[in-house]
Amino acid sequence: MSKRIWQHPELPADETTVSWRGVGQLENTAEFREWLEREFPRGAAEMADAEDAETSRRSFLKLMGASTALAGFGMAACRRPESHILPYAKAPEWVIPGKATYYASSFPRAFGATPLVVTTFEGRPTKLGPNTLHPDQAGTDSFAQASVLDLYSPGRSTTVMQGGKPAKRADFETVFAGLAKDGGAKIGLVFGHDDSPTRARLLKDIKGKFTAAKAYAYEALEGEAVGLFGDGVRMVADFKVADRIVALDCDFTGLDPVGPVTAFFDRRKPEGKAYENKADAASMNRLYAVETAFSITGGMADHRLRVKPSQVFAVAAALLAELGDTTSAAGAPAVDDKIRTWVATLAKDLTANRGRSMVVVGSRLPKAVHLVAALINARLDAIGEGKPLQALATEATGLGKLTDLIADLNSGAIEHVLFFTPSNPAYDAPADAGFTAALAKAKTSIHFGPRRDATAHACTWHVPASHYLESWADARSATGAYTIVQPMILPLYPDCASEIEVLSGLLDPEGKLITGEGADGAPSPALAAVRKTFEGLAGTTLEAWKKLLRDGFLAGSKYAAATPAPATDLASAMAALPKAGELEIIFATDHSVYDGRWIDNGWLQEAPDPLSKVSWDNVALIAPKTAKELGLYDEEPALETSTAAKPEGGEGQDRKARIIAIKVGGNEIRAAVQIGFGQAEGTIYLPLGYGQGFNADDELGRETMNQAHVGDVGVNTGFDAYPLRTLAAGYYAALDGKPQDTGVKYSIAAVQEHHSMYGRALAREISTAEDKKKGDFAHQLAGVKKQGMDSHMPPNISLYKSVDPKGQPLLSDTVHQWGMAIDLSACSGCNACLVACQAENNIPIVGKEQLAKGREMHWIRMDRYFAQQKEDKDGDYLAMVPQPVACVQCEAAPCETVCPVNATVHTEDGLNAMAYNRCIGTRYCANNCPYKARRFNFFDYNKRNPLIAHNLNWGPLGETQVGTAPHLQRNPNVSVRMRGVMEKCTYCVQRLKDARIRQKRRQKVESLGTGDSLAVTMGDDNLRIAVDSVKVACQEACPSEAISFGNLLDGEQSRMGRAKALERNYDLLNYIGTRPRTSYIARVKNPNPDMPDTKFVGKATIHMH
Amino acid sequence: MANFFPRWTNVLPFKIAICALSLAGGVVAAFTYYATPKTLVVGYQPAQPIPFSHRIHVEQVGLDCRYCHSFADVSGHSNVPTSNTCWNCHQHVQKDSPKLQPLRDRMNEKHPDYGKPIEWVRIHKTPDYVYFNHAAHLNRGISCQSCHGRVDQMEVVYQDQNLSMGWCLECHREPEKHLRPLEEVFNLEYDPEEFLAAHPTEGVKTTEELGKKLKEQWQVKPPVSCAACHH
Repeated sequence: MSKRIWQHPELPADETTVSWRGVGQLENTAEFREWLEREFPRGAAEMADAEDAETSRRSFLKLMGASTALAGFGMAACRRPESHILPYAKAPEWVIPGKATYYASSFPRAFGATPLVVTTFEGRPTKLGPNTLHPDQAGTDSFAQASVLDLYSPGRSTTVMQGGKPAKRADFETVFAGLAKDGGAKIGLVFGHDDSPTRARLLKDIKGKFTAAKAYAYEALEGEAVGLFGDGVRMVADFKVADRIVALDCDFTGLDPVGPVTAFFDRRKPEGKAYENKADAASMNRLYAVETAFSITGGMADHRLRVKPSQVFAVAAALLAELGDTTSAAGAPAVDDKIRTWVATLAKDLTANRGRSMVVVGSRLPKAVHLVAALINARLDAIGEGKPLQALATEATGLGKLTDLIADLNSGAIEHVLFFTPSNPAYDAPADAGFTAALAKAKTSIHFGPRRDATAHACTWHVPASHYLESWADARSATGAYTIVQPMILPLYPDCASEIEVLSGLLDPEGKLITGEGADGAPSPALAAVRKTFEGLAGTTLEAWKKLLRDGFLAGSKYAAATPAPATDLASAMAALPKAGELEIIFATDHSVYDGRWIDNGWLQEAPDPLSKVSWDNVALIAPKTAKELGLYDEEPALETSTAAKPEGGEGQDRKARIIAIKVGGNEIRAAVQIGFGQAEGTIYLPLGYGQGFNADDELGRETMNQAHVGDVGVNTGFDAYPLRTLAAGYYAALDGKPQDTGVKYSIAAVQEHHSMYGRALAREISTAEDKKKGDFAHQLAGVKKQGMDSHMPPNISLYKSVDPKGQPLLSDTVHQWGMAIDLSACSGCNACLVACQAENNIPIVGKEQLAKGREMHWIRMDRYFAQQKEDKDGDYLAMVPQPVACVQCEAAPCETVCPVNATVHTEDGLNAMAYNRCIGTRYCANNCPYKARRFNFFDYNKRNPLIAHNLNWGPLGETQVGTAPHLQRNPNVSVRMRGVMEKCTYCVQRLKDARIRQKRRQKVESLGTGDSLAVTMGDDNLRIAVDSVKVACQEACPSEAISFGNLLDGEQSRMGRAKALERNYDLLNYIGTRPRTSYIARVKNPNPDMPDTKFVGKATIHMH
Repeated sequence: MANFFPRWTNVLPFKIAICALSLAGGVVAAFTYYATPKTLVVGYQPAQPIPFSHRIHVEQVGLDCRYCHSFADVSGHSNVPTSNTCWNCHQHVQKDSPKLQPLRDRMNEKHPDYGKPIEWVRIHKTPDYVYFNHAAHLNRGISCQSCHGRVDQMEVVYQDQNLSMGWCLECHREPEKHLRPLEEVFNLEYDPEEFLAAHPTEGVKTTEELGKKLKEQWQVKPPVSCAACHH
């Protein structure tokens, strides 16, 4: 028998789908082939530039000297060093050393709090998961997952500042007390858009005490819908009852939520939420998206229309006209015939599903779009109890806007201003609002915030804000369930103050500001304030309070229904629409830094943007044709491979992007540019929030005056687009002229081509609609397993036996055999799993320089593919398919056979285990992994700070991680890996082990209960954990429940077992015979058969070659 | 030309080589012998801040292990008692003993050490990359004694077993040598022969047979794959 050589067959001649990950692959450049064919990119394993190499050679001798010297000291260390056990002085209740304690809390944010369960170890919060008891729970997103890192962030502000200089807290307290004692003080309070009942209650008291006090709400990306339908009225969607959804530039599964989103994803699974039924296309919802650039929601859509941002209004108006109202939006610009047909067919589908269909609008779109959508929704009978949309009355009422604050500061109606908003108005306020000038007129301005950002420096005082895991508060979730925010730990830094503590301090007759802990360990005044609010809602019984703390929410509480009453008429809203232009720019919300507030969060910065796959920077995305026309790209990327020129940008560490100058309304900024597929022609898509400060290391040598506004993580990242935003055009604007190529190049760290797999049908997609070639839904379902190579490869015969020489099965555990299934139908590619994995498994960040070399450490790689049908010449109907890939735990794992030291071996229960302390770093395993799921610690990322230039090359002499607290976030049950060690996903083996041991303990308690343990017999059933009772970190975090995990031996009792039994279930690279334990479930699109683009939908099966 | 190297230098390289080799061999042999966990850590018996005698507390007072190590069978980590656990008794007993001065200082609100932990010197230590779980063992019939020895008879605690990986695996391969009835896990005076005499069991004559029976009956299958302890 000769060695079997894989001849990857050519694509069948009639294959109609072209798929790619990035520009390089689409063109099949040599560089891309290299990514495919190598385990790690070239240079990943080498010292990069001359400087590094020089450093290393010189430092080698120094290091030798140093280590010899250390060895001299070290001889005494034959006996291991003395270490101590430090027990508590007084045992805190409920804390069991070594065991996690879980508390219900929540993360307050603009569209309703995210209910959470916080894992704490001996009082340290380490990991956040969703609170599944909560009525509004919808998993978590990457921001919620990463928020725990902010608590320990080295970039966190720790002390009070006065006028931008360090100051004493006592001095601040004197100023504060003076303010609090003066009932006539003209105080302005600026909050965020989260809704807190206690804040609302205290605010009433404050307005009673301070007659001139005013309150405002501001967040940079608040959009125009705030208060449009009445003061504090908010439209909330219920996806359970929505059969047809039209998203007008609304990323409701990602950055722009309109309601708990899990119910939406439940209906993307034709077999039902828990795969309990037979596949039924009718049970699925249908999503239409109208947007400029791909959002993760647009990637999920069954039909997607790409239009310029100014055209969204025209599409909405055309839809309204098709639904029979031709007068209300009569002055709207016309749409072309192609769009008209699209809209007409859409209107028919919506009308046919009247009462079960709705239009949701991106919160940042102009008022006119919201008003037209309200008219459409009224016609569709979409609003009301039990309908897809409800208008709810929040408690965030009577709050002014930023413009009101500026006017009041200018007129002197407000003299003292306190900022609690999570945004950073000195940096992110619209350019023409005149915020900084107005702020300078305030007598006292106090900024409460976690970072020393631009506003902290612009105000007279800055006070570090407590993290939400450090302070008592309350919040409302999306539909208004009263939700508690419990502290897990006292503030790490004594200067920190929380919003409720400050408001309580203002109400104190003496103006005494008590934070964290009162005298003699008395609880914070925030606790008393929250408890009082709660007692007003649920009575004064201790039981009710305890239940609140246990469950995290008050059962039955919700917002009252409101009657939407538009504050503006459509005609004036239409007059206020930003001007359309030949070229338009969208100021987008960013997936990593949101509006800029997360710029110092390393996990989020390193998480690749779901669309552009760029980390550590923002880039301006331009559609291919437009880029060509503007001369930013030499040749339009051709669909046929191997003909086009290679991109000038280069790949990997050599990747450079052109810097363009963009001018809007006379203001100019510069930003790096990249091709954005699936984006409307004539548009630039530029995320906000970056470029907050630069230091001397900046590649472009930018002005360093704002250096102090950011920490080590956020410094020198990206380009600031806020200077282009104006009050009138906060979301999109027309460009002045054309963007100019500045001739400057900038390094970009993009992971899109790292760790590429090759093979056929990696991500598979089918459609519920009948197709001439592929048959109807039932046929397509049956064909999932036969897609790609799997249809014509002979079955594999393994040379290895599945039993050991004694005849025992190698996977010998009869109690647990773990498995996972990932449903691509529900995966939006949001990165929540990727960040959750990082938090759970002590995965370090590596920094931009290392990441560009392909040395990222994320165990989950979020692949993002584009697919285009050959018939769709203009690329109007591209599909975007995300696919999370981690180690798939092959039963016949190629990595194991090549390890020279047996550091990676199989466990009895089917995990491909990794013994870090045994690994010697040959990297053979990663070379042999067809899924490219292994990551190598090229440096000691956990101990050395990768964010300082060349620091890693200094090895043990390099600077260690900065800050006093980063190690406190670590999961104590997972090894912190060192340099030279391979690592990868092991299905959260620490969680599995914990679950098994708990089950054993339960058995022991039962056995002892019988009185004679000798008589007790334990079988597989006793020792097996309850069905689906253990969740791995990625599965827990997922807002769409796309990941099922469980015990294969539970069969179809387990959700994972049912998922694996589906027709849609397939193994990744099945034909190479690795027998992976993680399988994928093909994506189903549910297109409207009458739609003109239906023939392009549901065919995005990804072939890489 | 003068002869720089006298004749005796001809054999010098061999002599040097032999010396170097025997030296290196000696170092390796010595290291292998002296630096193994067996010689390094067994018998490690550091002085503790309070000369706590397990023997007195077990033999005279009759305390169970779990009075102080209360979570050993609940958590992976076996806790050492907090100061107030000691204080429960010692505010009444041995009130003036000079040995207990550190404890009194920590419970005295006026003393600068008030509220600080007592710094017990750690004896049993596994490396950071080893995940050892007390609960997993105690709940499956492995006694404290199997790893810690007869702590109940120790005046000053010392390390009884070497806790090396090979030693762990010995038991993971043949758990029957250490299994005992769940009721006897915390009984350090447990004598299998006495137990069998008191509880005659069919087909079980020896300790080993008892262990085999329990292993079979409780499905004790200790994992021997890497991920059992390393993750």
